[in-house]
Amino acid sequence: MDPTQATREVFWNIEYTWLVYVLMVPTLAVFGWGFWLKIRRWRAGQPEVRFDRLGERMQLFLKNAVGQGRTIKRRYAGIFHTLVYTGFIVLFLATTVVAIHHDTPLHIMKGHFYLIFQSLTVDIFGLFVMVGVALAAIRRWISKPKLLVYTDEASWILVTIFVMALTGFMIEGWRIAVTDDPWAAWSPIGNLFALASDPLMSDAAMQTGHVAIWWFHLVVAFGWIAWVPFSKMSHVFTAPLNIFTANLDGYGGSLKTIDFETAERFGINHLGDFTWKDLLDFDACTECGRCTDVCPANTVGKSLSPRDIILDLQALMHKRGDTVLVSGNGDNGNGSGEVELLPIIDQKTAVSPEALFACTTCAACMEACPVHIEQMPKIVDARRYLVMEEADFPEGMMDMMNSLESRQHPFAGTQFSRVDWTEGLDIDVMAEMDDPHEAEVLMWVGCGGALVERNRNTVRATAKLLQKAGVKFAILGREESCTGDPARRVGNEFLFEMLAKGNVETMQRYGVRKVVTSCPHCFNSFRNEYPQFGGSYEVYHHSQFLDQLLESGRLDGNGAAVSSNGSSTITFHDPCYLGRHNGEYDAPRNLLAKLGDARQVEMERSRNTSFCCGGGGGMAFVDEPPDQRVNQERAQEAVDTGADVVAVGCPFCATMLDDGVNARRGDRDVKVKDVAELLWDAVGEPGQAAP
Amino acid sequence: MKLLVCLKQILDPDVPARDFQIDPAAKAARRGGANLVTNIFCENAVETALQFREAATAEVKITALCYGESSAEDCLRKAMAMTVDEACLVERDGNTNPDAAAVGRVLAAAIRRLEQDGGPFDAVLVGRESGDWGVGQTGGLLAEELGRPALGFVESLQPGNGGVTLRRQTDVGIEVAEAEPPFLVTITNNEDNVPRIPKTRDVMMSYRKPLQKLSLADLELDSEEIRTGSSIFEVEEIFIPADEVECELAEGDTLEERVDQLAKRIHQVVASIG
Repeated sequence: MDPTQATREVFWNIEYTWLVYVLMVPTLAVFGWGFWLKIRRWRAGQPEVRFDRLGERMQLFLKNAVGQGRTIKRRYAGIFHTLVYTGFIVLFLATTVVAIHHDTPLHIMKGHFYLIFQSLTVDIFGLFVMVGVALAAIRRWISKPKLLVYTDEASWILVTIFVMALTGFMIEGWRIAVTDDPWAAWSPIGNLFALASDPLMSDAAMQTGHVAIWWFHLVVAFGWIAWVPFSKMSHVFTAPLNIFTANLDGYGGSLKTIDFETAERFGINHLGDFTWKDLLDFDACTECGRCTDVCPANTVGKSLSPRDIILDLQALMHKRGDTVLVSGNGDNGNGSGEVELLPIIDQKTAVSPEALFACTTCAACMEACPVHIEQMPKIVDARRYLVMEEADFPEGMMDMMNSLESRQHPFAGTQFSRVDWTEGLDIDVMAEMDDPHEAEVLMWVGCGGALVERNRNTVRATAKLLQKAGVKFAILGREESCTGDPARRVGNEFLFEMLAKGNVETMQRYGVRKVVTSCPHCFNSFRNEYPQFGGSYEVYHHSQFLDQLLESGRLDGNGAAVSSNGSSTITFHDPCYLGRHNGEYDAPRNLLAKLGDARQVEMERSRNTSFCCGGGGGMAFVDEPPDQRVNQERAQEAVDTGADVVAVGCPFCATMLDDGVNARRGDRDVKVKDVAELLWDAVGEPGQAAP
Repeated sequence: MKLLVCLKQILDPDVPARDFQIDPAAKAARRGGANLVTNIFCENAVETALQFREAATAEVKITALCYGESSAEDCLRKAMAMTVDEACLVERDGNTNPDAAAVGRVLAAAIRRLEQDGGPFDAVLVGRESGDWGVGQTGGLLAEELGRPALGFVESLQPGNGGVTLRRQTDVGIEVAEAEPPFLVTITNNEDNVPRIPKTRDVMMSYRKPLQKLSLADLELDSEEIRTGSSIFEVEEIFIPADEVECELAEGDTLEERVDQLAKRIHQVVASIG
């Protein structure tokens, strides 16, 4: 036997092969029509630039679409998806090889290539598909995790894929058995089937069975292809496209600005107000449920479920998208032809005001999504509609917004002014300096730092560390206003814009170039949002700046221990707006590593999978039901590490976790401290240990 | 129907204690770092008027009126953002703290002027008192100037049989009254007249709506007389009470002794207060 001559007959045992081509026409027509419907709907969305920076997009595409970077982060699902995904690719290539071999003059399906790829590899990957589907079926039908959506469609997808793979092996096996294929050993699974069938069936029976199963296999496969655009299997195409067109700028800059002069509506309560990318997001969802699984609000039992928001909007788009989007008219659904907007915010769906106002904007959902769906900005868009068009929002947020409007800070009833914390520290205030340009850095204190008793220690520690390192800095004092972050996350873009413009103007007046702040929310606004209003600065979170000072030797952090017992165990809680939103995980940890003999332990959910303190998105101002408190869920996790210090880097995290830890620490002495407080304890002058 | 709501701009009563400053010579509070806000009871009055309009079947027009410095335009714009129909500012010239009688005269003159142009107001709504001086006289004195009946501490207005049904808070409970326009009410707060947050579009529109401005001269009032001639009281002195805290620790070797000591001191202190 000459392996260079190895091949097999295409369409062995099959008559009327022309029928294959005839059937292929309607199959591809339905397939194409299905996707054309989708594309037509997406194109009816508002414009958005997502085909720029092609190099970066290709990188992301290779990493997370081709490389399945995010999918494999969940082990079980990652394994079975990889098995099915790679199997599909190999089987698709194999089918292409057959087509080229049979329908073009290039007879490539022969020799070693035939044996190694078309027989052995294809058999192995075909087995992968069957094993993968079986693992998925075990999860879906037996272990039944909460994060999945249990639809008949999803079950049928598993059944049909399994049937296609199984029938593929059956026809291969019977062909091998009947033709006594000399290369049978190269197709181990098909051969196994042949060996099993041989003693049980006559050649004639196998031949008849082969024809029947062959056509059955073809009909299932063609039917399946035609079904793809109408099922969640369309993710095979929509997911890679969605990843390619993902937001490249991080979650911190993912909210859009509004042109208040021209906008027809503020915020979104209508399918037609979404951009094409938003609409693509809905179609890219694979119902994996990871977003809801990691959602802090959902975890503590609130009604918010990012997955169901996306799926309910997807269902609405499929049901009414053609009328509402493509015809370009509003639609009241009663066929009267009246133009009336179809609301997306609906008490009866997942897009209820209650759910929308439970979001902490932590972006855990976006980080978890294997296909880069952008859930959080849509939630904020809907909030914008409720806040700006309907003036409908929770009471705590109302007090916060009233205070922001009349006092430019969100803490109604605070007993502190913006400069009280500076008492005895001799800190320059820009307005009182002869030459404000002498200050190399603006220390942006933030409302949460200056006006909340618990956090005044943090800003004092930060200021004293800057003084100790000889940094020439100043504050804006009474001229500082809230950056607008809470207003923006709650959905009051108008108020955010006013505050942002005011701050940009003030900072411009003093020629501010470099900003250090201990509030990650302010940090994010300056870094990602103020450039849209003409304010571009070199922005540092205090942990980054202090870490640099330690690195450069301007601050000496050696030798001292964090607490008097000298054996502290510290766990660091990543603030969402420093970590996930801006990718800074290391600076605060580096800083903590330099604190004497303190030992760092990590919470199970840390770094990019960190769990929100519950204070983002304006939620710090809302009274949560006692049994649905995100901060306590997180505090429990921190306490469970055994740490005696929970280190934070955000004034909102500090207050939220203070409350949470006090509720959950039991008899243990567990303290919540900002990294700056800890550093000052370690490097402060003797006798100055308590700033 | 036509309603008129009077507004007053005051220093933010929520200003942190340490930021609150006074000018003993001028016998007035200093602005300092404090913000200017609409007096809360005036905002309750705006909300009460808006709710009356929403409940009424007939057309109701609401006008906001303020006697204040030019910065008080913000209060009127906010009222318009809350969807008050019209606004009028009577500009104050340097008279930092006119008393309630003077304010009543100015407001009455302005109301008569507005009525000349646009017909009589069926009801005038005034906040029960202001959050700065808390005198609580303006409503009554304004009613006197206008010669209209007045009712105080009203928390809601509802369209009634031919007239208006008023609910007012009293020491013993809620009193419900029927009133025939024209009348004046002072408005107090309850959980239902918390001022609404305006819709953003209304906020934007409020800056495009016309705002009528009148001076004391327009109203043919002598500003000097308003400043000095109508005082119902005179401020003798203004000061921030010293916040003195005396701390004593109950002493004793055992807990019982310390409790005993504490109880004795409490008796002494109570006796000394008489």
